[in-house]
Amino acid sequence: MPGCVHVVDDDASFRTAIERRLTLAGYQVATYPSAQQLLDSPPDENELCCILLDVRIPGLSGPELQGRLNALGSTLPIVFLTGHPDTPTTVRTIKAGAEDFLTKPVESEELLGAIERAMARHAAVRGEQHRLEEMRALLAALTARERQVFGLVVRGKLNKQIAHELGTTERTIKAHRHQVMEKMKVQSLAELVTMAERLGLLS
Amino acid sequence: MICASGSIVPRDRSAGNASIWLPGLLRFGSNFRFSIEQAGASLVHNCSLYRVMIRIVLLIVGLLAVLAPTCLLAQDGRPHSVLVLDQSNLRGPFYYQLSSGLREVLDTEGQITVYGENLDLTRFGGAAYEESLKRYLKEKYRDRSIGVIVANGAGTLDHTLRWREELWPGVPVVFAMLEVTQLAKLGRLANVTGVAIKNPLADAIKTARTVVPGLDTIVLVGDSWDRQSLFRHWGEEIPTATSGLMVIDLVGQKMSNILKRVAELPERSAIVYSGVFSDGAGTYYPAATAMRLIAEKANRPIVVGAEPLLAAGAIGGYSLIAKEIGAEAGRLALRILNGEQAGNVPPVTQESKPLFNWKQMQRWNVSESSLPEGSEIRFREPTFLEQYRWESMAVASAILIQAGLIIFLLHERHLRRNAEVESHERMSELAHVNRQATTGELSSSIAHELNQPLGSILTNAETAELILKSDKPDLGEIREILADIKRDDQRAGEVIRRLRGFLKRTPFETRDIDLNEVMGEAFKFLSVQASARNVALYLQTAPGALRIKGDPIQLQQVILNLVVNSMDAMATIPYGRTVIGRTELNGGSSAVISISDSGPGIPADKLAQVFDPFFTTKEKGMGIGLSIARTIILAHKGQIWAENQSGGGAAFHFTLPLVA
Repeated sequence: MPGCVHVVDDDASFRTAIERRLTLAGYQVATYPSAQQLLDSPPDENELCCILLDVRIPGLSGPELQGRLNALGSTLPIVFLTGHPDTPTTVRTIKAGAEDFLTKPVESEELLGAIERAMARHAAVRGEQHRLEEMRALLAALTARERQVFGLVVRGKLNKQIAHELGTTERTIKAHRHQVMEKMKVQSLAELVTMAERLGLLS
Repeated sequence: MICASGSIVPRDRSAGNASIWLPGLLRFGSNFRFSIEQAGASLVHNCSLYRVMIRIVLLIVGLLAVLAPTCLLAQDGRPHSVLVLDQSNLRGPFYYQLSSGLREVLDTEGQITVYGENLDLTRFGGAAYEESLKRYLKEKYRDRSIGVIVANGAGTLDHTLRWREELWPGVPVVFAMLEVTQLAKLGRLANVTGVAIKNPLADAIKTARTVVPGLDTIVLVGDSWDRQSLFRHWGEEIPTATSGLMVIDLVGQKMSNILKRVAELPERSAIVYSGVFSDGAGTYYPAATAMRLIAEKANRPIVVGAEPLLAAGAIGGYSLIAKEIGAEAGRLALRILNGEQAGNVPPVTQESKPLFNWKQMQRWNVSESSLPEGSEIRFREPTFLEQYRWESMAVASAILIQAGLIIFLLHERHLRRNAEVESHERMSELAHVNRQATTGELSSSIAHELNQPLGSILTNAETAELILKSDKPDLGEIREILADIKRDDQRAGEVIRRLRGFLKRTPFETRDIDLNEVMGEAFKFLSVQASARNVALYLQTAPGALRIKGDPIQLQQVILNLVVNSMDAMATIPYGRTVIGRTELNGGSSAVISISDSGPGIPADKLAQVFDPFFTTKEKGMGIGLSIARTIILAHKGQIWAENQSGGGAAFHFTLPLVA
């Protein structure tokens, strides 16, 4: 499950060493000498990747970059790497969603483990999102009347109640309901409810 | 009657005495003299025996009653005239001095007539000469009343005593220079006193032994003993005085022979000179003149017995001092002139005194300490110090004072230097402690700086391992990796070196450094710390190098202290933490370094105190950082001060003198 690692570190020598190692491990590597450069050309979220971020870098610091990315809604997992760990920074970054917090010098095994976990999480996040998008596409394929019926069905309304509410016949509703089940590619009402919940239609 | 007439002879002294109480009586007395004469006349002419007898008796009684004091006065003194008879030529130094000593004493008593005659007995003799001399003196002094005769020399005394009855009956005689043994031989002499001299040959031999260690030969030089006056007795003393010594007897020899002999005398011999008065060929001269001739030729030291011979080239000896003998004779003559009976005045003995010639002592290498006690050294050449005593003392004291002053100043300088060295040592120690504390504060920066290369090295090494494990290792890449490892290792080493340098306890040492470089290094050290504390650190250096003389580590410490101080001051402000370092030329002679921050600034009333030791506004501060900064800057002959910027924040400045 290779992917792309975005390395942000002001130390050129370290960037080279890491790039070498990760390339050998099969990853694609992109390096940035400053946080700002990564912000200027943000990585493609859809690609499988993670960020390896130094804490202390001149200008925009590691934790600051994390904050900016979060604000932008990025889902890229971040692995921090620091020459001198301190507890407040560690806690702050982990709470802000950092994947891991490593200390230089770091052994390859540890580093690669962290990268792998980050990749896996990104993959998971990415898969989840993918399904959601599929569901949204299915949802988008529904007609307006079908969408109304869908919304009411998942709220546990009976066909008769729906027909009454929409001012139509129970038979028409039954047909719409069948159509929705078909279009949303579900077999049971329970499945449909789960889907609705994930799409945020129940909130 | 003699008594009476004697009293009438005008005399200065008795007249002086009498004038107090006698003028009336004298007048009265002279009246009576006339009466006596008249009495005599009337005795012849009147033949009135009875009347004459009564008048005579009355006159005698009156005379006795009135003239009794005058009669006593006449017995009290003698005619104030002295006849000095000399044995030898007055132009010789010895008799000249004798005569002048005598004369000086007589002159103190006022008007004394002094007659002088030179019998010249060393050059002339014989019955006819003596007879003519006697006749001459008899004729010459027939009408002169002589108070006392001074006879200088044994021969003169001899003649005087023989002639006295006929020429000067009853006149007392004072002799001078009669040797004690000869005086003893003469027995008791009536109406004679004088100055006897004591100058045994043994003293001359003793002197010879003193000046010639291991003396074995004595050389006697002089005219025949019977022609001598002062040393006549030596002839008889030879056997006893010279026992145990060889004697070369040149006494009575001709001058030419003497001069030949004295030039080739043996070692360990000394000449004893008694006086040569002629060359034996018709030329006569004083003993000192002959002595000078002999001294020129002699190859051994010459011992003498009379003071004038000393100057003529003798080394010295127990010498008669003519002037003292003359003065002594003069004093005796005065006592007799003033009424004492010569027979009642015992003879005085004048001893010879050890006199030495300094120049001859140098020539014969005789030390002063070997001379007999009480010796007098003549003709001493003053040494430089003696000659320029005051000048030398002035110069010496000036030099001493100067030297003292120099020593004092050197001592002061030494003390000051010690104090300076100690103060620098203390400062270095304190600075070291402060650096350790600073290093503690900066430990995260240091760890970061070290871990950076260490991280690269580890990663690179593991990568290389993996590459080597592959089937076809890429050796080119391995080489690259190794080069990187090496570079990072050096980088880590450099960090350690810098840290060690910074932490080293070094004595204060100045050298030529570039202030911009020092500033750059310090800021590099601080950069990580600054970013960790969210402080923007800027450095603006003056173009070119700022050459100063200083201790780079201590100056870095000053910069570090100031920047850390600024960063601490800004800890409470939420954002916009900035520290700006600046180096500038301050005119042509010094450089100024400024560290300014965007913090709250220093309270105006604390501005003056910030550099005081243990002054702190921080909770955990010790208050030594800024005080050490000031100490270091002062040790670099610079100045440091703090101020608040108009736009907010504090600024610290310090100046350092540039190397000319």
